[in-house]
Amino acid sequence: MMGQLVQHYVLLSTVIFLIGAIGFLVRRNILVQLMSIELMLNAVNLALVAFNRQHQGNMNGHMFAFFVIAVAAAEAAVGLAILLAFYRLKASVNSDDADTLKH
Amino acid sequence: MTFWFGLSPILVVGLGTLLLMLAEAFGKSPNSANPSDAGSGRSGELALGAAVVLLVGAAFSIGVWMVGPENLEGLEATRPYLVMDRFTVFFCFVLSLGGAFAALLAGGYLPEHDIDRSEFFPLLLLSTVGAMTLVAAGDMLSLFVALETMSLGVYCMVGLRRSPRAAEAALKYFLLGSFAAALLLFGAVLLYGATAHTDLVGIGQAIKTIGQPGSTVPVAPVLLGLTLTLVGLTFKISAVPFHMWTPDAYEGAPTPATSFMAVAVKAAAFAILLRVLVVAFGDDRLTSWGTGWPPALATLALLSMTVANVVAGRQSSVKRMLAYSSIAHAGYALVGVVATMRSADGQASVLFYLLTYTVSTVGAFGALIYCGSRGAEATSYEDLAGIAKRHPAAALAFSLFLLSLAGLPPTAGFFGKLYVFRAAFDAELYVLAVVGLLNSLVGAYYYLRVMVFMYMREPAPGAQPAVPMKSAFVSSALVLAAVLVFALGIAPGWSLDMAGAAKIVVSAK
Repeated sequence: MMGQLVQHYVLLSTVIFLIGAIGFLVRRNILVQLMSIELMLNAVNLALVAFNRQHQGNMNGHMFAFFVIAVAAAEAAVGLAILLAFYRLKASVNSDDADTLKH
Repeated sequence: MTFWFGLSPILVVGLGTLLLMLAEAFGKSPNSANPSDAGSGRSGELALGAAVVLLVGAAFSIGVWMVGPENLEGLEATRPYLVMDRFTVFFCFVLSLGGAFAALLAGGYLPEHDIDRSEFFPLLLLSTVGAMTLVAAGDMLSLFVALETMSLGVYCMVGLRRSPRAAEAALKYFLLGSFAAALLLFGAVLLYGATAHTDLVGIGQAIKTIGQPGSTVPVAPVLLGLTLTLVGLTFKISAVPFHMWTPDAYEGAPTPATSFMAVAVKAAAFAILLRVLVVAFGDDRLTSWGTGWPPALATLALLSMTVANVVAGRQSSVKRMLAYSSIAHAGYALVGVVATMRSADGQASVLFYLLTYTVSTVGAFGALIYCGSRGAEATSYEDLAGIAKRHPAAALAFSLFLLSLAGLPPTAGFFGKLYVFRAAFDAELYVLAVVGLLNSLVGAYYYLRVMVFMYMREPAPGAQPAVPMKSAFVSSALVLAAVLVFALGIAPGWSLDMAGAAKIVVSAK
């Protein structure tokens, strides 16, 4: 019974992760790409908590999830700062406009 | 006490980072009249501080190595999150050295090119701490946190200059880097789900039980987790086809940051790749040619060497050529990683290769910095034309490091390549070794092309050739790198023995 429950959550997390990955690859708005990365990281959190339910006896999965949340916040801060710098110089949030560096 | 001494290679740099941040925040700036420029004009002192901190860290690594981390009591307490073994200490030394070189180069480069922003140095040190903890990581949790600590600092360093090219380089690196980190993380979670462990040793033991009666470890998530983890890590070592960001990020970044990425980030990523492969995926079935990771990594190695060498020859920018050359070198080192499957010398050859690659690459980027000055940064081949006549010392230094990258004796690069290819022959990976040798020959073409421009061409009439800068920081870094290139090239024995002793041994506990 419980194994099945965990499976559903892992399936959901995989779907969210894939949505994030596809969104990152398909969309060209950098803000949406940042959101897609957050989606992928949160899918991972869901899977971590679900798996910890399956592997009881320690709290490794929960602890891991907390660290992922903290790191995701730091990553978002740096990402938005870089996006801001890019927008000021290029007046665009489209990643296709990042095309000056070519051989 | 022995506990703190054992951790000192990382702790010294960490504490030094905090002190440097305080110094950066509270020190008086010469340009303090303009508040938005606070912290500018102080690169010199902060570069010196950063280099001293990193060299002290390197000295502590040597100290811990002499005593032997296995003899230090209480050091087991940090496992599995931080594994302080000889492997870690070896890489702490290499990373501190690479970081110190980057700090010295930045001390000359940033003021010269009017990006005198002192936050570069705390970022550099924080990234180095992240790289060292990444090497020491023995758990997926600390691996991920350390990887991000290292990367976030580097993203900021890449975007330091306020120019569209730098912002674009930082953006590309950040987006692709975070995507790869997310893939790695999902791989780690799948492994946790399958094996109930996040520590590498536990994952490795759980994988060994597959196929035995009573095992509950499913195969598909393990293989998917292995694949995603490898994708995430090979992205950081910039192996083809996960190299798309490399030329752009390397070209747009300030050159000292480029040298740090080429040296420290790559070495740390290779170290953790080795640790993950040996400790977590060291099962006989996973290291066999038919059912494991060797064919995948061998393909990446072949692609990296060949594609990067072909494209590098067609570049018009020397900096971009060096970026592709670093991809090719990732391919050579990957040959050694694949060789760990059968050859006992595989790991040692990779470690030694990374050491030789560090000193040669840092020297090559340093020489490129040295050849340019304000308003006339040396980037293209034409900028370097005829520089040997006007500034023989700069041309000589550049040639030395290029020869080492090309792998000619008596430089460090020769022995680095020799041991990697010998390990490949030992492991009966003849195709890999032969393709690697052929690629070294192809690679010599574009390294020698730089020398042809420096020694045999004259600048076009009316062109403004680059004028070398004057900086004690850059010259001292170049001298130090040149000494190491020769020392490793003439007497490689001692460092090779160290690399051999640093090998990861998986205990059967």
